[in-house]
Amino acid sequence: MEPVIQFKDVVKVYPLRAGDVTALSHISFEVERGEFISIMGPSGSGKSTLLNLMGCLDTPTSGDIFISGIGVRNMSDVELTNLRRDRIGFIFQYFNLFPLLNIVENVSFPQMLKSQKQVDEKKAVEVLRAVQLPDRLFTHTPLELSGGQQQRVAIARALVNDPDILLCDEPTGNLDSKTGASIMELMTDLHRRGSTIIVVTHDPHIAEYTDRTIRIVDGRIAE
Amino acid sequence: MLRSSLAMLGIVIGVVAIASMGILGNSMTQSISASLSSVGDSVIVTPYAGSGGMGPGGGGGGSASDMYLTDLNYQKIKRAVAPNVAIPIMSTSAHMKVGVGSDDIVASIYGLPTDDTKTLLPDLEAGDYSNGNSGCLVGSTFAKDHNIKVGSRISIGQDGEYGTLRVTGIIKERGMSFDISTDNALVVTKDWFENAFDRSDDELSEVVVKVNDGDTADVKTTIERQLNRNTKDKTVTVTDSKATLATIYETFGTVTTFVTAIGGISMLVAGVSIFNIMMMSVNERIKEIGIMRSIGTQKKEVMSMFIYEAAIIGIAGSAIGGALSLVGGYAISILMLKTTEYLFTLASMMSVVEGVGFGIVICLLCGIYPAWQAANLNPIDALRHE
Repeated sequence: MEPVIQFKDVVKVYPLRAGDVTALSHISFEVERGEFISIMGPSGSGKSTLLNLMGCLDTPTSGDIFISGIGVRNMSDVELTNLRRDRIGFIFQYFNLFPLLNIVENVSFPQMLKSQKQVDEKKAVEVLRAVQLPDRLFTHTPLELSGGQQQRVAIARALVNDPDILLCDEPTGNLDSKTGASIMELMTDLHRRGSTIIVVTHDPHIAEYTDRTIRIVDGRIAE
Repeated sequence: MLRSSLAMLGIVIGVVAIASMGILGNSMTQSISASLSSVGDSVIVTPYAGSGGMGPGGGGGGSASDMYLTDLNYQKIKRAVAPNVAIPIMSTSAHMKVGVGSDDIVASIYGLPTDDTKTLLPDLEAGDYSNGNSGCLVGSTFAKDHNIKVGSRISIGQDGEYGTLRVTGIIKERGMSFDISTDNALVVTKDWFENAFDRSDDELSEVVVKVNDGDTADVKTTIERQLNRNTKDKTVTVTDSKATLATIYETFGTVTTFVTAIGGISMLVAGVSIFNIMMMSVNERIKEIGIMRSIGTQKKEVMSMFIYEAAIIGIAGSAIGGALSLVGGYAISILMLKTTEYLFTLASMMSVVEGVGFGIVICLLCGIYPAWQAANLNPIDALRHE
């Protein structure tokens, strides 16, 4: 089976007035379906750039990127957005939920984007239960939940469209250690059920939950 | 919510301003039109008064006793305008009393040929045309003011020295007229007028031509060619009522456009406010936009969201403004025209529709750039925005 993510000699350069900055330099790697991977590196190493490229929020300057076998380098913004919507789930450090929508509505949002028809709330509820969120909280808004609960909702939102990949940017960065551990336990459980998960982190304790770690230093993969 | 409500208030005020001004202008135009349009087919010939000039209207003709049209003038006009009817008219003002012991009144009196009275004054409110020399018609305002009915007697002259007339009919209200102003006047036979005021056929105050065959402008040109052959030594002043009406309508149209444009300025100010509100809304939601874009919202969907927001403000504000403009138009009509007869006419209602439409369009136009900006935010930069 083809890898779910393939980077082939990818270079990303940011043209700035003060001079071009090479964020990633000739990066090549693959992520197989069902892997649980962490990406680690010091600040400014290119982790975020790598995450943005994997999440189709940006395109490489050169090289090729394949997401579920689809080459993204020459895709239009519409095509990249569709790819994000259908195949990638994002989990952010600060949850990034919509404060005025309740939990079910937050989780249903990506469904609404995918299908212009009526949203299947049953699926949203099913996913919320899968991330171990109690039913009594379903009508609450995000501000009425704890940090851990909010992150579970964010994970549910990322899962609702059955994405090929879950991309997590410091998912426990805004949580205490105990809550962070429970989130990582949840992710481990999701991985066990077949999800492909990539976690960007600077915390080695978090990386211990993963099967493999890719280290980035100065825009290159460290051996 | 408060911010959007205040922005909407600007739209409400703008719509009310445009629609109310439009209603006022249209109502005034229609009011004038109703008053004047019945004489839109007339050409009025009066003696040429030089640089002083005595225009049409016919009232108070006795003030310049040497300014008359002669019978020869009349015959020339009659031949020139045939087959159209040329009506010779005499006019003066006189003292009169209605009934015994009443106050002295001064009013205009017109003398018309018996056969032509019905042509010039086709609508009576009550009674009938005089078929004898001792009868007269009175204007509706004159009748109301002095409690005159059909059969009432009016003595003409300070001491009744010109005789007594019996009212046979009351003329329907004509408002402003180019030919003769009958609302506050009496209309008698030409024969009675000549006998009473010792006037001859060579002392006509004016001639009114009712144009049924041909164009009023052509009739005017024909008369001027016949009677004003020498441009330095004119005999008559000829007024084409249709051309004058057109000028009046054009003037009112210009005034309506001008005052509506002033209302439009307030709408532009409201539009700037909407633009400002939308830009603030985009700036406050940059992170939210980044989240939406990252989870798969298309640019056009983000843009639609903000366009809808502007449209809702525009539609709600314009709808409220449209409703209030009917109230405003009603108040203005009552205050300035003393009637709401013209409020619900097509022309006035179109002012409301135009105001509402303009309000919605302004909101949409002012929402386009902020919506475009929101849609084209870089998702990565937007996600990082604090």
